[in-house]
Amino acid sequence: MAPETVLQFALATMLPVVATIAFILLQRKTRFGGLGFWPQQIVIGIVFGSIAVFGTEFGINAYGATMNVRDAAPIVSGLLFGGPSGIIAGLIGGIERWFSVLWGRGEFTQVGCSLATVAVGFYAAALRKFMFDGKKPSWVMALAIGVVAEVLHLTLIFVTNMDAMKQAIMVVRACTMPMLLCNGLSVMLSVIAAMLLSGESLRNKVPEERAIAQTVQTSMFVAVLIAFIATSAFTFLLQSSLSSQQVDELLRINIDDIRTDIDQTADANLLAIARKAAERIGSVEAAKTMSLTELAHELGISEIDVVDNSGKIVVSTFSDFVGYDMGSGEQSREFLPLLDGTHTEYVQDFQPMSYDQSVLRKYAGVAIGDGFVQVSYNEQEFQAQIGSQIVGITSNRHVGESGSVIVCNAHGQVVSSLNNASSESLENTDLGAAVKANAPNTVFKSTYDGTPVFAMYNRTEAYLVIAIIPQAEAEFSRNTAVLVSSFMEILVFAALFAVIYYLIKRLVVDNIRRINATLGEITAGDLNASVDVRSNEEFASLSDDINETVAALKRAIAEAAARIDAELEYARTIQRSALPMVFQTYPPHYDYQIYASMDAAKEVGGDFYDLYLLDDDHLVFLIADVSGKGIPAAMFMMQAKTILKSLAEAGLEPDEVLTHANDELCANNEAEMFVTVWMGILDLRTGNVKFANAGHNPPAIAHAGGKFSFHVVRPNLVLAGMEGIPYKLHELTLQPGDTIFLYTDGVTEATDTNDELFGEDRLLLSLDARESQSVESICKGVHGDVDEFVGDAPQFDDITVLALKYVGRKDK
Amino acid sequence: MEITKSQEGEKLVVLVSGRLNTGTAPQLDAELSTLVTQQDALVLDFSDLAYISSAGLRVILSTQKAMSRKKGSLVVRNCKPEILEVFEMTGFVDFLTIE
Repeated sequence: MAPETVLQFALATMLPVVATIAFILLQRKTRFGGLGFWPQQIVIGIVFGSIAVFGTEFGINAYGATMNVRDAAPIVSGLLFGGPSGIIAGLIGGIERWFSVLWGRGEFTQVGCSLATVAVGFYAAALRKFMFDGKKPSWVMALAIGVVAEVLHLTLIFVTNMDAMKQAIMVVRACTMPMLLCNGLSVMLSVIAAMLLSGESLRNKVPEERAIAQTVQTSMFVAVLIAFIATSAFTFLLQSSLSSQQVDELLRINIDDIRTDIDQTADANLLAIARKAAERIGSVEAAKTMSLTELAHELGISEIDVVDNSGKIVVSTFSDFVGYDMGSGEQSREFLPLLDGTHTEYVQDFQPMSYDQSVLRKYAGVAIGDGFVQVSYNEQEFQAQIGSQIVGITSNRHVGESGSVIVCNAHGQVVSSLNNASSESLENTDLGAAVKANAPNTVFKSTYDGTPVFAMYNRTEAYLVIAIIPQAEAEFSRNTAVLVSSFMEILVFAALFAVIYYLIKRLVVDNIRRINATLGEITAGDLNASVDVRSNEEFASLSDDINETVAALKRAIAEAAARIDAELEYARTIQRSALPMVFQTYPPHYDYQIYASMDAAKEVGGDFYDLYLLDDDHLVFLIADVSGKGIPAAMFMMQAKTILKSLAEAGLEPDEVLTHANDELCANNEAEMFVTVWMGILDLRTGNVKFANAGHNPPAIAHAGGKFSFHVVRPNLVLAGMEGIPYKLHELTLQPGDTIFLYTDGVTEATDTNDELFGEDRLLLSLDARESQSVESICKGVHGDVDEFVGDAPQFDDITVLALKYVGRKDK
Repeated sequence: MEITKSQEGEKLVVLVSGRLNTGTAPQLDAELSTLVTQQDALVLDFSDLAYISSAGLRVILSTQKAMSRKKGSLVVRNCKPEILEVFEMTGFVDFLTIE
């Protein structure tokens, strides 16, 4: 190809690559990417369509067709930028190709090329949608896509030119390599450019990152490639063998024909002379008296022999031959049947004579009454008599379409060839050398008139007959068969590949994705989501299994929840019954009012209170708060409450109770919990309260008709915090009518939706508002205020309150 | 809640900021129970601590006990008034080294 042709093709190959880079950058860096889908598709389609037109206009005319790089643009556009743009580009390129015959583009392939370019636009759009899900193909796939598109294109040229197959084949054979290569490369380079721009690696991914579909793609691609190469090689070998058999037969038939012609001509000539000689001689006896030399001279030959009944030469132009027994040599013995009447005439080929093996002769014999006459040509006579008839014998003979037969004489001079080329010598030609190097009746390769040919030769009489056929002609049918069958295979395999890939994607991959999506919902907590993929038996069964598993899980969770609920309800009942609910104990001499409540944040809580009379005059009342909540806190609370009560009932003062309780609780406290306690013992006779505080909130106290205020003493450490520490005893005195209010931090640290604490000030206000009311009203009122303050915010902590009003001596 | 650690000579300072409640206490518990085995001198810096609940107190209590067992030292410093108030009310002031 001329350098400027190569440049044209290279430019047409690179244009789609450049456009790809340009559009990716435009989409990313400019407002072009902000345009809607359709405006973008139309612009991209038009640009790639124009590139296709460029490919047509700068193509190269060959065999009435236009060799070009046109299809790459619609394919790249459709594959990388979206189906519609590919279809638009294909339509522009195809329609322009249709009309381009008006200004000199190849007319022969007008229909095929136009159709193909429109088709590849749809082809790319379909691949993008069904095969690659809008993603980029790998660069290997891109190359294959470009090649398959061109095979489709060239096949369409066949299909649309069925009535001019030979020309179609010439066109396709000329176009195949450049068009497959350039279009394939163009698509591949565009995809590589797009991959590099988006930072993707060109290498294969490791197996975990590869989707099933991609693995199938790669494996199938390799399998299809191997199958294609194997079948193409088989076709090639089969067709080669067929074509060499055909060449062998064709050459052999032609050689045999010419040989027969030469033989017949020579035989007829010599036999005619023999008949004349026999007629003139008449009988063996007559021969003895006549001059054979004169007769021989007259007939234009040098030898005449007369053989008698005994098979011996009795008269001859050569006196040496007289007395020779014809039965003594193989060549001469062949004439003996003339004596017994089996034959009356016999002709032999030009060959060495029995009498002297170094001399070649052609003999003919005719029977006369008592013997026979034989005449012969020596070499010069043979040439002189036969040669003229042989010249031009093959001048109209064609072997196949452009093959021919060449005849040479014993000196290597060409005496006949197609169109009677001048009588050159084969002596110093390739063909002459090849004839010497090869055995007769075998096909061998050589060149004739500068054309590579298959040749075969044989000899007859003194002539060399060579039949030749150009190799190109002999291999035309084979090459055509291989080309067409390769195209068909590429199309069939590509279609098969696409169908299998699509089926795997639809039957397996898409279903797995759907199941995964549902499993995602289930994992996210929606146990009511169900998998419903029923496109085939395996996935239907998998769906059912998953649904059953989820249903079983749901049942198990519900059962477990129900069991825990039931157990927590028991625990709640037990805890509630552990807290005293009867508040009036009616000691004989003195009176007081007391009320308390515990409202756990969960089913069970860690707060508790207690109240009981030690004797007629001493009331124990306490409030406590275990760190943490729920079951562990509830269990620790039960333990603490029991210890405190048993110690108090043993008659210990509050400080001693707490000191001992602390040690006991510390002893077995693996969970490292602790409890705050405010514990008081009221002497009903005097209103004196002895109390100790293990890290608990200070109580609020109000005199009758007065306001509440916190009674703060320096607290000791919480119980179960550290072993062996002492707790301090404090005292305060209640006047008749005074109220003491105990609470846990669930009250003061109750939080509203704005994260604001209820706090001590609000507590005092709430208490003051109800100072004159009953202890039950005070407790419920405070709880009500807390609830109202918290509003919609969740309750985090247990809320426990205890109010005690000291009444003093009963009025009798 | 956020936990920031820094070395200060021999001592490892753990800056606890935000709210130390039932939700965040396990995180501090996990952090401190590892540090207790590695360090002989721990400082808890509460300058950015806004709130402490009984679950937070429990973590401090168990850390103090663990440090006492191995004869190490635990210092709590830079408490805001409301945090200090909680330590006072619960008697933790007697039990902890507060600076």
